[in-house]
Amino acid sequence: METLCAALDPMFPCREAAITTLGELIGDAREAYPSAIYLFGHSGTGKTALTRALLKECSKRQGVRTAHLNAIECYTTKIMLENVLDSLTSPQKGDSVKADNMVEFVEQLRRAEAPGFLIAVDNAERLRDMDANVLPVLLRLQQLTSLNLCVILLSQLPFEKFYNKTGLSEVICLHLPQYNKAETQRILGSDFDQVRGHLLEQFATDPGRLEICETAMTEDFYNNYLNLFLSVFYKACRDLPELQLTARKCFAVYLEPVLDGAVEASDISRLWRHIAGPLRAALTQIYMRIEKPLEECAESSASLEDQSVRKLAQSLELPYYAKFLLIAAFLASHNAANQDKRLFVKHHGKQRKRMQTVNARAKTTEKMSTTLGPKSFSIDRLLAIFYAILEEKVGLTCNLLSQISTLVHLKLLSFVSGEQNIMDGSARLQCTVGLEFVLQIGKVVGFNVRQYLCDFM
Amino acid sequence: MDPTISVSKGVFVFKNGATRAGKKAKTHKRKRPDSSAVNSLLGEEVVRQPFYEEYSQAWSQVSGHIDDLQQRTYARTLEQLVAFVVAQGERTGADKDEVLPTAALLTGINQPDHLSQFEAFTQRLHAKRAARVCVLQSRDCATVKTAVETMVFGLVEDNLAVGADVEESEEEDVVERDSKRLRRSQCTLKQLRSWYANNKGAEGSSCQLVVILPDFECFSASVLQDFILILSAHCGSLPFVLVLGVATAMSAVHGTLPYHVSSKIRLQVFQTQAAPVGLNEMLDRVLLSPKYAFHLSGKAFKFLTHIFLYYDFSIHGFIQGFKFCLMEHFFAGNSFALCTDYSRALGRIKHLSHDDMESIRRLPSFRPYVEQINDCKRIIAVLTDDDYLKKKLPQLLRDCMLHFLLFRSALEFLTELVGDLPRHPLGKLHRELYVNCMNKPIAATPEYKECWQMLGFLSKDEFVGKVTRCLDRTEQFLAEEISPLELGGACVDGMRPQLQAIRQALDDVAKGTTVSPETAGTMRPNAPNLAQVTSRHELQAQLLQRSKEDKDRAQPPATALQKTLQLIETHLVRGHLRALQDAPPIHELFVFSDIATVRRNIIGAPRAALHTALNNPHFYMQCRCCELQDQSQLVSTLPDLSVVYKLHLECGRMINLFDWLQAFRSVVIGGEQDGGVENAAQEQIDPQIQARFTRAVAELQFLGYIKMSKRKTDHATRLTW
Repeated sequence: METLCAALDPMFPCREAAITTLGELIGDAREAYPSAIYLFGHSGTGKTALTRALLKECSKRQGVRTAHLNAIECYTTKIMLENVLDSLTSPQKGDSVKADNMVEFVEQLRRAEAPGFLIAVDNAERLRDMDANVLPVLLRLQQLTSLNLCVILLSQLPFEKFYNKTGLSEVICLHLPQYNKAETQRILGSDFDQVRGHLLEQFATDPGRLEICETAMTEDFYNNYLNLFLSVFYKACRDLPELQLTARKCFAVYLEPVLDGAVEASDISRLWRHIAGPLRAALTQIYMRIEKPLEECAESSASLEDQSVRKLAQSLELPYYAKFLLIAAFLASHNAANQDKRLFVKHHGKQRKRMQTVNARAKTTEKMSTTLGPKSFSIDRLLAIFYAILEEKVGLTCNLLSQISTLVHLKLLSFVSGEQNIMDGSARLQCTVGLEFVLQIGKVVGFNVRQYLCDFM
Repeated sequence: MDPTISVSKGVFVFKNGATRAGKKAKTHKRKRPDSSAVNSLLGEEVVRQPFYEEYSQAWSQVSGHIDDLQQRTYARTLEQLVAFVVAQGERTGADKDEVLPTAALLTGINQPDHLSQFEAFTQRLHAKRAARVCVLQSRDCATVKTAVETMVFGLVEDNLAVGADVEESEEEDVVERDSKRLRRSQCTLKQLRSWYANNKGAEGSSCQLVVILPDFECFSASVLQDFILILSAHCGSLPFVLVLGVATAMSAVHGTLPYHVSSKIRLQVFQTQAAPVGLNEMLDRVLLSPKYAFHLSGKAFKFLTHIFLYYDFSIHGFIQGFKFCLMEHFFAGNSFALCTDYSRALGRIKHLSHDDMESIRRLPSFRPYVEQINDCKRIIAVLTDDDYLKKKLPQLLRDCMLHFLLFRSALEFLTELVGDLPRHPLGKLHRELYVNCMNKPIAATPEYKECWQMLGFLSKDEFVGKVTRCLDRTEQFLAEEISPLELGGACVDGMRPQLQAIRQALDDVAKGTTVSPETAGTMRPNAPNLAQVTSRHELQAQLLQRSKEDKDRAQPPATALQKTLQLIETHLVRGHLRALQDAPPIHELFVFSDIATVRRNIIGAPRAALHTALNNPHFYMQCRCCELQDQSQLVSTLPDLSVVYKLHLECGRMINLFDWLQAFRSVVIGGEQDGGVENAAQEQIDPQIQARFTRAVAELQFLGYIKMSKRKTDHATRLTW
């Protein structure tokens, strides 16, 4: 057990406590395993990596049979059972391991021989949605098979979320807390040698830069960088792999002025001024994983939110009538149906104003229908508004009607109800794009959208 | 018979491979006759006709040209994509752990067109033998289970297809064995992994598994998320590459995939050419190319581009529309077989029958030709003697073809001349100018006058530069496109002297500047300011003012400039860019203008058609009993459904069924006996009439015009307006 922990500790800094506990529980195949362990913690805290390494060590040192599977992949119970059997039973039996149900599974598992068995299930929260017997059976599999077997469940949720009416047998819960800032920095700093080696390799052909790199690239320098980096990112993201990836990406930018000789390696404040912009840009791109040079990202994300909407509306190429259909859908979604006559008919008669209605109409921002979100409308109303706002006369043809379904496909419109019975006219749609977007589209086709919105009258 | 026997009776299918073998033999057999008889749909008598030969030749030329062009436009993006996929195979193991390489292809809307792009992509990958490809449609992916099964099946089968194509005999046994082993429910990732492990050695190590989702937007978000998570989990052992076809924008991807999914993929964005740009290119290079004898009239051309730009952005749809026009044109008769190359047309003339000649005589543009002949005898000969007309035809054909060549060359000149004027009064693209020139005599239109006015206001340098550019471009066009053609030499000969004259006039303009350098000196500093003026009126006002100010000094170059413009107008615009009605005789053989037929056939208007059918059944049935003098007339001999429909048109939103029935009865009975309708209302309703009414109403409901109301008993709701 001690050797096991000793092997794992350097791989997972700041997880010594968890490793020790796990080692005490399942570190030795000669002792009886607990029936199930529930390992939970937020994403990027090392659950899967730790378990995988542990299983590998166990099978290597003690000949324990292990299975590691992902619950998402197991869209049927059969796949899960066969996958487990595949890894746990002896492989030379030929390629057809078959287990259609739990009984067969348990039966076959009983026949296996090994000092111990470990089964790890990733994304264990999905087990709740599978067949009702899966989770209870997994939790008491040891009892059922009378083997030295332990099931490790990995999930992001606390175990309380798994309780159901029939009850579950107790498990040992182990929480992996999020790394705090110091720990994060320590972990990120642990790959210093690798980064340095990588850099030196990269500049091997450029002796001038190589020299600067060799002198500047010290542990302190790297830690300073990580400190700056985390001061921006730690509030937004605690997912370690993500941080690691972004840190490496930004480090090249950080190092650039030093390599050019523009800034001294020790001049941290100037380096900070240099890196602050790119870091903020990278912050908006985090998790998106778009492979582009960082400068381009900075350029695109530097623009304000409304500008990006404008860009989107302009870059989205829609046929002319589809644009008008989209505008009509937006108007139908954000105007009350009883206002249509006033908005779209030329001679709609005079409106009587009474104090009561005036007061009721006095719009506050909470009442603005553009901020309340879209209402649903029928296809007839959509077409009526379309014809009202379009100046020219067009026939109601197949091509036009098929544009509605195109817009639905592009998720610019969506069905609210009655998707199945479009034929009898009871299907209702709503428009999913925002005001800003429609205003831009209106500008492209030369149509003032605001003029036709009740909110702005 | 004992009732329990049926339980034990049943039909069982024993699968023993026989069906598969049979199917295979069938497909082989079917392939061979296909290649020999190209078109089995049309009878021999049609296929043998000269017009059909010409049609198929013209179509194969055009479609080949278009395909070629599209291949080239796709090529750049596809090369990048293929390079991306291949590069994934060369990545080192360290950084591909659990992260799925993904390419997002921004395709623009209209998804049916994109399938062809992805097909081309697949072919390229196959050609390089770099990957197994599976195109995963959203309709196959309602759940994760079906998605994974379809994908695995596709990947494994894709391999088989390639193998069978390349080394058919060798791999046949393997194919048989593999496919027998494979059932849909067996297609799991485990299976795929073992399959990959087995085949990897044979296929070489850098074989990627490419999964293409051509319509990203149509996938349900949850399925897609799970699917990506599964793929990324297997990334370590199976080299997956995901390709997303995104119709809208990248924000759609980020909107669909939450952080924990999007952090599992490594996304690279590729952009394809926008559809309108592709269309313009296709029009310029193919449809407006002088190579083809077939032309669309301005209206037909505008109609097709209109469908594209206003409705669907579908290049495929556009091509089909064009093909329809082509078919319609040639199908009009054998005389239209003359719409081809000059030398081929000469050969065809001999074989024309009397009827064909008559159809040529009936062409609208033939009459002016006859009228302009002075000699009485010759008129009679042209109108009655086929042989005489056949002798005359080559000259007419030649004139006509030459006209189109000259038209096209002059169009090139005009496009360059007016294309970049502010606000583009005549349009800036070839297609717009083509439509304008074809439709009406362009020199008489106000837009044209505006253009000419603007050109007149240009400074000398700008004007000289512009016209020189026009001349150069036309020369280039003549040299590259026209001169290789059969009548190209004649066209170039016709064009050259005119261009020369214009060049000469231009020299005069340039000289005018050098003669009065002080004029140029005063003009020049003003010129840049003009460019900044925003509105046209302002520009016009300023220019007018300025021209007044230094009228006396600017006089000589201005007149020279006007003279050049005059020259261009008389030679090119009035000479060559003539509208269709002024085109040479028998141009109908080359120009398709029957837009009404096309509109009726390629634009479906279901609601209008239904309304016509119900409102006026005579239109379709052509029966004698239902002839109506007036659209709203109600006759008892109309079909019941039609009567019910017409009555329902008179009602408001809610229709009382009983009133409707009464009206129906009065119409139906009214025809039989005019008197006693009042007493009839009190009487019991004839069950037969009631049954007819009920049935008609049910049919109307089935057609989607009404719905039975739930709120009010015995009322129906109208659904259409």
